Amino acid sequence: MRGPAGRIDRWVAFFFGLAVAALLAFILLPVVAIFARVPPGTLVAQLHSRVALDALEVSLRASLSALAVILLFGTPAAYALATRPRRHSATLTTILELPLVLPPPVAGLGLLMAFGREGLLGGPLRAVGVTITFTQIAVVMALVFVSLPFFVRQAIASFQSVDPQLIAASRILGAGQARTFFRVALPLARPGLSAGAALALARSLGEFGATLMFAGSLPGSTQTLPVAVFTELARDLDAALAIAALLVAISAGLFVGFKLLLREPHPSWLDSSSSTSAIV
Amino acid sequence: MRCLSSAALVAALLAVGATACGGAASGSQDGLTTLTVLSAASLDRVFPEMATEFSKAHPGVTVRFSFAGTDALVAQIEQGSPGDIFAGASAKYGDQLFEERFVDRPRAFATNRLVVIVPPANPAGIASPEDLSKPGIKLVVGAETVPAGIYTRKVLANLDALYGPSYSQAVLANIVSDEDNVEGVLTKVRLGEADAGFVYLTDAEAVGGAVRAVQLPSEAQAVATYPIAVIRSSAHRAAARRFESFVLGPIGRRLLADAGFGPPAAA
Repeated sequence: MRGPAGRIDRWVAFFFGLAVAALLAFILLPVVAIFARVPPGTLVAQLHSRVALDALEVSLRASLSALAVILLFGTPAAYALATRPRRHSATLTTILELPLVLPPPVAGLGLLMAFGREGLLGGPLRAVGVTITFTQIAVVMALVFVSLPFFVRQAIASFQSVDPQLIAASRILGAGQARTFFRVALPLARPGLSAGAALALARSLGEFGATLMFAGSLPGSTQTLPVAVFTELARDLDAALAIAALLVAISAGLFVGFKLLLREPHPSWLDSSSSTSAIV
Repeated sequence: MRCLSSAALVAALLAVGATACGGAASGSQDGLTTLTVLSAASLDRVFPEMATEFSKAHPGVTVRFSFAGTDALVAQIEQGSPGDIFAGASAKYGDQLFEERFVDRPRAFATNRLVVIVPPANPAGIASPEDLSKPGIKLVVGAETVPAGIYTRKVLANLDALYGPSYSQAVLANIVSDEDNVEGVLTKVRLGEADAGFVYLTDAEAVGGAVRAVQLPSEAQAVATYPIAVIRSSAHRAAARRFESFVLGPIGRRLLADAGFGPPAAA
């Protein structure tokens, strides 16, 4: 029958369960609290405000643009780094991951010092008549800078987990670099790539500090949803909470939707993903 | 068992939270009193000096500060943040807290004026406020939600009388960013990213030669009045009232004047 070992096992299992419950409660409580404070009617009414709609448009456009840039440059870069010997690529990968450990205002200050009017590239940029600060380009640049590592890390790991023998086989059978990348490596790495893309998109939507520092805040132009929450807080707590709730709904929705849609095709998931996309 | 364990955990977390709050709120130990002043960000250079002088005159009382935008301070007080004194940058917010019965009757202790600042190199060649309406100027101001931004828009409207009816429209069209606080305006002008910005005179004076100030005609000025009030829930009301009197008294006046603040308008 059960000895002392069985009892200890039960306690261990209990504490594992407790840890899960504790963390779930800790994450869910603040999220639920945002929705609990404002009655649904007020929430919907607040969402028709000019500020919320403008910020929504700016946020969606900038985040999707940033994602496009990240996928376009991040995917080939990750493939290149993943297929080189690790000792060569480790330093380069660490540099690309650097924004993960930089506080966003520091990232924003860095962008200003590099691309601002008085920055390192300020002179050359001005010579060709380009000013970046306070424009939507600045918003997209801040988002790319901060969210790129979320995609690249995941993408490198995904490409590394592709069986090298399959790549070798593809080359032996006569497929070129490009064909091997598009027909073998990319489909096999897709689940990981999509998870990375979803993370990067969610991070973009939530970006605050670097955007405020580098792009400023102008409603309808550079004011994103997180910045609008902060600004509206000064005027009206309910309005700020409504925008916060919108942000939670969109970020969580896109995050889950993206993960499902870009996942490895699977019959049972296909149904739920199409219904999710209809809601999103 | 699962439900039970998570409920117990939530209870434990709440208990820990309550203890922590209790610890933070208690300000007096061994006969020493610590006053917490919730102060407007623009007071962050003069109030620490004020605290030093006050503690000299009142040994046993130390003063610490929590600096933030006045609107954020109001939200904190309304949400029950522990604190003893409110010192804001807009009379409107003092009145609001008084009407909501969070603070005693506020008293005006200082005034501040706005000034236009430009980078030392003055890339857009701004010599007077009239130049702010030239197309293509990159202007940074406080958002409409913060006192500095509200005063800025009032001043611009007042300047229409001087520079013509379309002046403020043209200036508002040059705004490239609505910053959430004066520090944001100051930073962007200092770094040369913006051609001009509106800040308080005291902010411009505090950074010395890092920016150049362009004065506004005094008839167009919107004067910011700073209210101070004892918070009703304070556990050290007597000490808090002494600090309030100190700020309003001769030493407080002198320190504020040195920092560039004006005296409160005679009531």
